[in-house]
Amino acid sequence: MNSVASPSDQARRDQAFESLLLLRRKSNVRRSAYYFVLLALVVWSIQVTIIDDTDWERMGSLGAVLKSAGRFIGVDIGLFPSLLVPAIETLVIASLGTILGVVICLPATWFGALNITPFKSVTYPLARLMMTLSRSIHEIVWALFFVAAVGLGAMAGIFAIAVRSVGFIAKMSAEAIEDINPGPVEAIKATGANTLQVVIFAILPQVLPQILGTVIFEWEINIRRSAILGLVGAGGLGLVFFRQMHTFNYHGVTSVIVAILALILIGEVVSHYVRKSII
Amino acid sequence: MGVFVFIVWGIEYLDIPLDRLFGMFGRMGSTLANRYYPPDIEYIIDADYFQYVIETVQMAYLGALFGLALTLPLGWFGAYNVTPSRRFVYPVARFATMGFRAVHEMIWAILFVSILGFGMLAGVLALTFFCAGFAGKLLAEEIEAIDMGPVEAMKATGANLFQVVIWGVYPQIRVAFTGIGIYTWDVAFRAATVVGFFGAGGMGWYLKRNVQQIETERVAAILLSIVALVIVSEIVSAWARARVMKMK
Repeated sequence: MNSVASPSDQARRDQAFESLLLLRRKSNVRRSAYYFVLLALVVWSIQVTIIDDTDWERMGSLGAVLKSAGRFIGVDIGLFPSLLVPAIETLVIASLGTILGVVICLPATWFGALNITPFKSVTYPLARLMMTLSRSIHEIVWALFFVAAVGLGAMAGIFAIAVRSVGFIAKMSAEAIEDINPGPVEAIKATGANTLQVVIFAILPQVLPQILGTVIFEWEINIRRSAILGLVGAGGLGLVFFRQMHTFNYHGVTSVIVAILALILIGEVVSHYVRKSII
Repeated sequence: MGVFVFIVWGIEYLDIPLDRLFGMFGRMGSTLANRYYPPDIEYIIDADYFQYVIETVQMAYLGALFGLALTLPLGWFGAYNVTPSRRFVYPVARFATMGFRAVHEMIWAILFVSILGFGMLAGVLALTFFCAGFAGKLLAEEIEAIDMGPVEAMKATGANLFQVVIWGVYPQIRVAFTGIGIYTWDVAFRAATVVGFFGAGGMGWYLKRNVQQIETERVAAILLSIVALVIVSEIVSAWARARVMKMK
């Protein structure tokens, strides 16, 4: 069977090789077309957003820009003592918001996990809609809405954060529940348990670490969010930031940013240890 | 139990008027029904508004792109296993990533507006920093999880730093990086819809103007358009992610 290739064989092989080359050339052409389109998009976007829309005259030379950036260098040390209370406020708003968010999440998660949702055709899309709505509206917008509904103050901030975190927590939790091992669920159902018992004894033990991890992660993000809600009247560090900015106390602005960084650092350390102790 | 105590203490500390809570839902319902309904759809079906939407998309695109470009060195330097110097470069890169991420995109926007003036340049830069912090962390974690075998092998052949990164690290994170890129775009677009709130360009400016003029029906329409756009962008990115996963 290992005879010399006949001429027709050779021709066939050549043909196959040719078509392979052609295919490769085609995909190369397509790839460069992709890159070209991407590049054109970049150039167009730069043209519209950066070159046309910027008031270069007003911005002045590079030196002027550096000078106005330089105003922020320096920390107003005297401001720090008065930052303590707003910082704690920010932390508490973030924590309470996360807790309330978890409470709101319970139905959303239950309805949003395909394997335990009660009326698949109604509740599943409803939960998905809730999650998308919660995630797609920015926290500033939620805060504006709640400030209009419940008035200025920390409450609006808590609600805004709670509603905003529902989407992420519920989505991750629902996905965790969809991935569980169905064995224990079947086993507990076979003993005649009702739905609630199935959830408590078969589902929760399997997903609790994952859900707690998600909640901690969201809490960390919420600190960052609650630090700016004061910009629209929901208390905390954002309010101080706003005031410092409006009184042109640029060093004070830097101090507030330093305080926010410190808070985030604390949040990161706490969440690191909590997550380690869970897993 | 501890959580309960914390809730009570927190409510006490923040001085939250609980009695308002009970009237809240009724008031929210009537606010929504009387003031935000019906949304003024005509206001958003408008060439001017559409142009702002396009600008928002462009701003998010550029912000995500520049942010990802910044992410490459940040992720490389901030990954413990491949960083050029564990003692100096690694902590600096980690701290920069954390700082970029910790400062909210709104604060970046305000800072850049105050430095560069109103306009989309400030928005693009705010999104760039925000995306760099966000994607930098994900990328560094992804790089830390790679298989070190090829990297060691490359080093053994005498490859220099860049060669190791390009031929040993990059092929392993290519797909993950694409996924991060898509995710970053998603997040950047959501942020881009509101950075205009403080003068950094895009549709946020429309939102701010109408909020301040208490044109609630227009605000409702704008919010609806934001939700619709975000859903569209989510569908597109889900499709893109599915394609990337198939390439894996």
